[in-house]
Amino acid sequence: MRVARYLLQRLAFVLPQLLGIVLVSFLLLKSIPGDPAVLMLGPTATPDAIAGLRAQMGLDKPLTSQFVLYVGHLLHGDLGTSWQTTRPVLDDLLQRFPATLELVTFSLILAIAVGLSLGTLSALRPHGWVARAVDLYGLAAGALPDFWFALVLIFVFYSAAHWAPAPLGRLDISVIAPATITGFLTIDTLLAGDLEAFRSAVAHLVLPVLTLGLINAGPIMKMTQSTMQKMLAADASRYEALCGIPERLVVRHALRNALPPIITIISVLYGYLIGGAVLVEIVFSWGGAGQYAVQGVLNSDIYPVLGFVLFSAVFSLVVYIIVDLVYVLLDPRLTH
Amino acid sequence: MRPARVSAPAANDPASGALLRVEGLDVVFPTASGGARQALNGVDLFVMPGEILGLVGESGAGKTTLARSILGAPPAPGRIAGGRVLFEGEDILRLREGRLRRLRGHRLSMVVPNPRGELNPTLTVGEQIALMARVHLGLDARAARGRALDMLRAVHIPDPERRMNAYPHELSGGMAQRAVIAIALICDPAFVISDDATSGLDVTVQAQVLGLLRQLAAEHRSAMLLITRDVGIAAHYCDRVAVLYEGEILETAPRDALFLRPAHPYTLLLLAAFSHNPELRRGWSAAWSTAAEPATACRYAGRCPLAQPLCRTETPPLAELAPGHAVRCHFPVRH
Repeated sequence: MRVARYLLQRLAFVLPQLLGIVLVSFLLLKSIPGDPAVLMLGPTATPDAIAGLRAQMGLDKPLTSQFVLYVGHLLHGDLGTSWQTTRPVLDDLLQRFPATLELVTFSLILAIAVGLSLGTLSALRPHGWVARAVDLYGLAAGALPDFWFALVLIFVFYSAAHWAPAPLGRLDISVIAPATITGFLTIDTLLAGDLEAFRSAVAHLVLPVLTLGLINAGPIMKMTQSTMQKMLAADASRYEALCGIPERLVVRHALRNALPPIITIISVLYGYLIGGAVLVEIVFSWGGAGQYAVQGVLNSDIYPVLGFVLFSAVFSLVVYIIVDLVYVLLDPRLTH
Repeated sequence: MRPARVSAPAANDPASGALLRVEGLDVVFPTASGGARQALNGVDLFVMPGEILGLVGESGAGKTTLARSILGAPPAPGRIAGGRVLFEGEDILRLREGRLRRLRGHRLSMVVPNPRGELNPTLTVGEQIALMARVHLGLDARAARGRALDMLRAVHIPDPERRMNAYPHELSGGMAQRAVIAIALICDPAFVISDDATSGLDVTVQAQVLGLLRQLAAEHRSAMLLITRDVGIAAHYCDRVAVLYEGEILETAPRDALFLRPAHPYTLLLLAAFSHNPELRRGWSAAWSTAAEPATACRYAGRCPLAQPLCRTETPPLAELAPGHAVRCHFPVRH
């Protein structure tokens, strides 16, 4: 009951939050110099033709009415049209957003596995060799650019060892993509029962997931290490040890109590990576949403960018609501 | 230089047959300046089966350090520098980690102060009590839960079925204290340490909890080390009493002997501080105003109203005045 009321309260804030986000990004994008009409018609266009196209696109209207028009279309599910792809932005994003989401989700799963286990191990033996290796790793993960690391992986595992497929998209060219159901190729290929396509999708995921996962394990690992050190030194853990509770149980209980800040970091990373994965997407020609948005920014194609911002914002808000619910499940003190 | 300890002849050793025997226990804490502070200095004590030994001392005397060191876990960053803790014939300080873990909470358990800070906030009280029975007695989940419920009844927690599913923050201080007692006693330990366990409770609840602890210890035939700052508690609940001052045992005696014939000036003034006699209380505060001096041979000499030059140069041994009554003083008060 409490949870339901809490959810309603949160959802009531979602619409104003989204409107604010759209307004700010709209104004920011409009303030970027560059005229889509000029870019669309090319260097030989006459001023008359440009003015005509501007009028046709509504670019001659004042900013406020342009915004009202855009929001009005949004309410009808129309996110505008990209002049580069000449397709509705919604269709483009529905195809590309899942590509990014699949990449980011698997990367985050890897980052969580690596970060939680290394962070916990180093908290258990703060002066051991694992802790020292973890410090070094944390430093490297924070300092190395992900696109550079991606290129190293491609060099080693594709160019030299030939273990990985060419970094050209999500499937081998010879493989026919399955019907889109979830947009996650790993799931859609299985739903279609096409094991060969599934293998191809997994093979293409390996290197970008390794790149993003290993780099982004850094902050999760650091947070786990510091929170676990605090929890293991806390009265509750000390008392359990004095009661003769086995160490693995003491650690499990401490990890559970250490989870809230770790989950916060994970949720922030999840939202951040949707756009933050763009350089890795470019390196692997992933065709994801981040790449789409960057193309939009570079070519004064604002609707793809606004659409991307909207998708990311909704995604982040959903993640944060889920995280809040998880907090309540983890800590009985919050429900009262 | 530690003084030679009195070693009574084996034939009439009062500690023969003791359940727990602490011998010459030294615990040191590193200091910020790179030195070391001696938190416990050659502590000797013993507890007979079924006996309640009171340990009184002011804050900082080393009571908690002693309690935790008996369990082989001195508070960090303290380190056990010497001595033995013999329990049921084994030296706890030299046990392997696994064997020590199986003793703790099972044969040798501890009732902690501030239970709401020490219980795990995300496990229910029932889960935490039952966990002890699962870990140490090998009971399955159902049996452990049943036994935990029995323990909650035994410690007189109202509405025990409901409290099983309560989280620590949902309990009052007195109830949390009872839950911790249930954890300490569920495995029928031979020895229980109560570390100032009731100091956070108001006086009536404190009396209830201590009475319960004594009654349950008797039912389970557990011996107990009852650590307290309150001389009155020692007088009410203990068979024998030891007085700890700056990491040293100054006096140990059967309860009545200690309260009727305190031999160490410190004990005398400690009793006076809790006295209802205003004359005696004034005597205590007068002695207190003497500023503490740097370490002297007798650690109490700097504050002692009866100190002589000898007290500053030669450390007094813990010497027996009467059977079972020992005092660490060159000039014990005679009655």
